[in-house]
Amino acid sequence: MSDAPPSILSLRGLSVWFPVGAKLFGKPKSLHAVEGVDLEVRAGEALGIVGESGCGKSTLARAVLQLVRPTHGSVVWLGRAIEGLSVSELRPLRRDLQIVFQDPLASLDPRMTVGEIVAEPLRVHRPELGRAARREEVAGMLERVGLSRDVINRYPHEFSGGQCQRIGIARAMILKPKLLICDEPVSALDVSIQAQIINLLKSLQRDFGMTVLFVSHNLAVVRRMCDRVLVLYLGRTMELATTDALYARPMHPYTRGLLAAVPVPDPDIQPGRLGATLAGELPSPLAPPSGCVFRTRCAHAIERCAAEIPKFEALPPSEPGGLERHIACHRWREIEPQDS
Amino acid sequence: MRSTHVSAEVHPAASAAAVARPAVLEIESLSVSYATPDGVIGAVNEFTLTVHQGECIGIVGESGAGKSQSFLAVMGLLASNATVRGSAKLAGRELAGRPAKELNEVRGSRLAMIFQDPMTSLTPHMKVGDQIAESLIRHRGLSRADARQRALSLLTRVHVSDAERRLDQYPHELSGGMRQRVMIAVALACDPVMLIADEPTTALDVTIQAQILALLAELKRDQGMAMVLVTHDLGVVAGVADRVAVMYGGRVVELGSVRAILKAPQHAYTEALLRSMPRIDEPADQPLLTIPGQPPNPRDLPPGCAFHPRCTRASDRCRSERPLLQAGARSAVACHHPVAEPLR
Repeated sequence: MSDAPPSILSLRGLSVWFPVGAKLFGKPKSLHAVEGVDLEVRAGEALGIVGESGCGKSTLARAVLQLVRPTHGSVVWLGRAIEGLSVSELRPLRRDLQIVFQDPLASLDPRMTVGEIVAEPLRVHRPELGRAARREEVAGMLERVGLSRDVINRYPHEFSGGQCQRIGIARAMILKPKLLICDEPVSALDVSIQAQIINLLKSLQRDFGMTVLFVSHNLAVVRRMCDRVLVLYLGRTMELATTDALYARPMHPYTRGLLAAVPVPDPDIQPGRLGATLAGELPSPLAPPSGCVFRTRCAHAIERCAAEIPKFEALPPSEPGGLERHIACHRWREIEPQDS
Repeated sequence: MRSTHVSAEVHPAASAAAVARPAVLEIESLSVSYATPDGVIGAVNEFTLTVHQGECIGIVGESGAGKSQSFLAVMGLLASNATVRGSAKLAGRELAGRPAKELNEVRGSRLAMIFQDPMTSLTPHMKVGDQIAESLIRHRGLSRADARQRALSLLTRVHVSDAERRLDQYPHELSGGMRQRVMIAVALACDPVMLIADEPTTALDVTIQAQILALLAELKRDQGMAMVLVTHDLGVVAGVADRVAVMYGGRVVELGSVRAILKAPQHAYTEALLRSMPRIDEPADQPLLTIPGQPPNPRDLPPGCAFHPRCTRASDRCRSERPLLQAGARSAVACHHPVAEPLR
């Protein structure tokens, strides 16, 4: 079998439903934000979770942290199911599970100094540390993320978006977590700052050897950052593959449409790409299509796609010892292979 | 500073079509400044640009570069503490500094605009059909019935599905992509000579962005409209724009054909921006090039070239003397040490 490293995190049939529009005598409705996700996350990998708005990528990440509770299914962290744990039972696990949010300024308490913000996880999880030791840890981490140690006594509003994101990363990294979840960490930043943060996250991952779940709608950033990529559409998994395989040869019709839609800064290529755009719009998540949820926008859809939900099939790895690929499509065997 | 003309002379092949066509929008030394409690802040400095009929110009830059401010000034939509100097002529008619009453005749008829967030630009309590009909009734004197008929054909024109039913829907009943199509229909209602699109796809999902960009390219081709596309995304301009102006610190630092800017940029900033942008069609075998530091605060612009604190090519001259936009080998560029080699 494969020599792949063991799973650090497993999602088994994970669903997150939100109740919506409950009427007094009506049937309560629910929005299936994440539906039946099975996923093995390997220790030390950077796994990208991509898709358009409403595909459930952020909800999935939050369900891993139990910031939203799964409706069905299980989140297994280091061999232990954590979905039923109480808040106090979860607290010790938080030391290993950290998150960086999209809006860097909004995720920092404006009344706390940078030093207090970054030290807070240490106070909770490593109370044995003395003041001086804690201060030294904080200063060291601030320098590691590219800030100077003098920023300790300053406040978040004094910093630019990129610097605030570095502070948020320092706070997440101060406990040296085993898993770092990044929820659109560069989406609010200018292009020139994005590259700085991507390179920082990559170097932190290399140095600390942590596992990263990287949630993003930006497929070019994900290609830079991740080893494998999971594609979601309306809360369902469409395709999972190594980054190289997915970008070189997308197999699911949705993955192909998604990749083709990303603009390329090249006047020889980009005008032609505009002609090959995916038609239609995202259906309402309250009334998802039957069968394959993507079928209403899929050029390859047949009757079977409306009748039957495609399984998230495992395909054998393309090379011995490689990672297997997963795809949820009835017709992937018949669709012409396509190099992107 | 005469830059567009200079560049046109240098590149007859690249801009021949544009030169042959009449100028629609002529912006000359436009400056925007704000009076604030902390003093006067210059948001845009000596912005000069000519847009010709049937031409699309992309305006790119990061936050605070002045790209939106320049065109809000053209449209007379700046905040009340703003001061505008210089000239902006639409088909020969001065717009800069004219009173709102006079501008209202032009805005929405000859000069149309679409913005990033279609939800805030559409009136929430008005049906879609009425919003499109409004300018037709106001500017063209159409009857309600005729205006509704024209609104229907406009919605069809921008590929809104089920157009008849959409006429009687409210903006909140539509998806983001559909709302942006409606905004474009409103903008096109009176056959404008000039469309200004300010980050029109930034709030949209990537597959919907591609659809809207394809629509803008189609409109440019079929209607012969002049277009300005303001965006932070160099990929967005690649598919639609003929020429591109790169802004930094409130000034145009490079202006040239889309090919010259994206394939062989001469300004160190343009080149660094392209190299620091992750591309979907490139594997990650090398770390991304980064530009150190951050975009300058318009409150506190560096002396000389505003980019010099972040530039690897900066010399003493760059720290003291501001480079002027001048014809270079491939584009007009404001740089003392322009890049010689094409990108790749």
